[in-house]
Amino acid sequence: MLSEEIEPPEIKACLQCTALLNINSKFCNSCGAKQSFPEVKVTDQWNLLKQAAIFYALYLLLCCLSKFTDAFREMTWYLVLEVAGILLTVGFFAINWSENKALLKWPGFSLQKLSAYCGIAMAGAFLVHYAVGWLNVTIYSQEEHLFNASRGNYYAMFLLVFFTAVTPALFEELGFRGYLLQSLLKVSDTHQAVYISAFLFAIIHLSFISLFWLIPFALFIGYVRVRENTLWYGIFFHFCFNLTACLFELLQQHK
Amino acid sequence: MDDSLTIAQPKERCASCFNEIVNDDIYCTNCGYPIKGTEHEQQVFLSQNEINNIDYKVYNDKVKRAGNSLYYLAAFAMLGGIISFFLRQDDPNVLAYTLPSLILAVLFLVLGSYSKKKPLACIVSGLVLYLIVQILLIIDNPVNIASGIIVKIIIIGYLINGIKSALELEKFKKEHNIKD
Repeated sequence: MLSEEIEPPEIKACLQCTALLNINSKFCNSCGAKQSFPEVKVTDQWNLLKQAAIFYALYLLLCCLSKFTDAFREMTWYLVLEVAGILLTVGFFAINWSENKALLKWPGFSLQKLSAYCGIAMAGAFLVHYAVGWLNVTIYSQEEHLFNASRGNYYAMFLLVFFTAVTPALFEELGFRGYLLQSLLKVSDTHQAVYISAFLFAIIHLSFISLFWLIPFALFIGYVRVRENTLWYGIFFHFCFNLTACLFELLQQHK
Repeated sequence: MDDSLTIAQPKERCASCFNEIVNDDIYCTNCGYPIKGTEHEQQVFLSQNEINNIDYKVYNDKVKRAGNSLYYLAAFAMLGGIISFFLRQDDPNVLAYTLPSLILAVLFLVLGSYSKKKPLACIVSGLVLYLIVQILLIIDNPVNIASGIIVKIIIIGYLINGIKSALELEKFKKEHNIKD
């Protein structure tokens, strides 16, 4: 009695004719058709990159305006700039709305994960705060206060928290981990896409010294976004990080 | 018993990729070479393959050139850092002027050295970094836009060409299963 079962070799059907092929075949042995998914066109990828470049250039323009022109230090103009940035990110995110809207869902919501990410963010902000303080003192022999304008005013304090923690968390994530990373994933493999989006995010802050924490920060959120397939963990991570940094700043000003 | 009596026949191999051929294959399952096609079809396939290989070489060269421009930028930033260090040696804030150049040099060096492994990521990052540095220099002093403009255009050209070639290269590698 031969009860031994011979395992059939793994086979697949040709994409074009009806021939059965070995699972590893790259071409059909009877019709010569290529056995792979529809080809990606380099011109399409190039166009995606160009579109991403336009987004980045406009974003960079807004960053430069807010950093290097005095007019935008004023509240009204600052708000105009902020709204322009929001419109820019939302606009580009919506270009591919049918695909990108999936990123706004929160599949497999987990409170533990969320608190873990928030904890990491706060610890990170704590470390960065002291490292940056030390760097500023050693390199520039001075302490820099970014938000002196809001000293002692509660209304201004809320605005400060809103504009340093809430809006950047939401819209930087939407722009960089949403639109940009999603486009790059279509152009390249996951690692390169996450890396490029992280690097671009880091250098748009226009501070070389800050790169040492901005790159790891952005890489972390990038990988969280790819792993969890949602923007929300990143948004909360970013929010907690900025909030902690902002609170440190306020604490120091009150001293 | 029968198995041991059959005489081992030399295995037939594909004329293009030297993959083993099973008797009834009309096309090579590895590269698509028309094994039972006419001589003309086979010639066309082989010459197309040759063209692809030449393209691959051209793309590789362009990516390499872009990688080299990253090294060149690293050297340039390093030189700038060292010169500014010696010019401002007595300034207490000397590090504030020198450090950005040195960080820039290290960044370009790292990007250059990884540009063979991850061409797209490194060349895109290098190009954007270079452009931002140029923008900052122009904001600092608008006259900077003119200085060495030809060299700047050449570098940007090499890097943009490098990005395009990196896309082609990645597609080619994926299609032909080439691993780094």
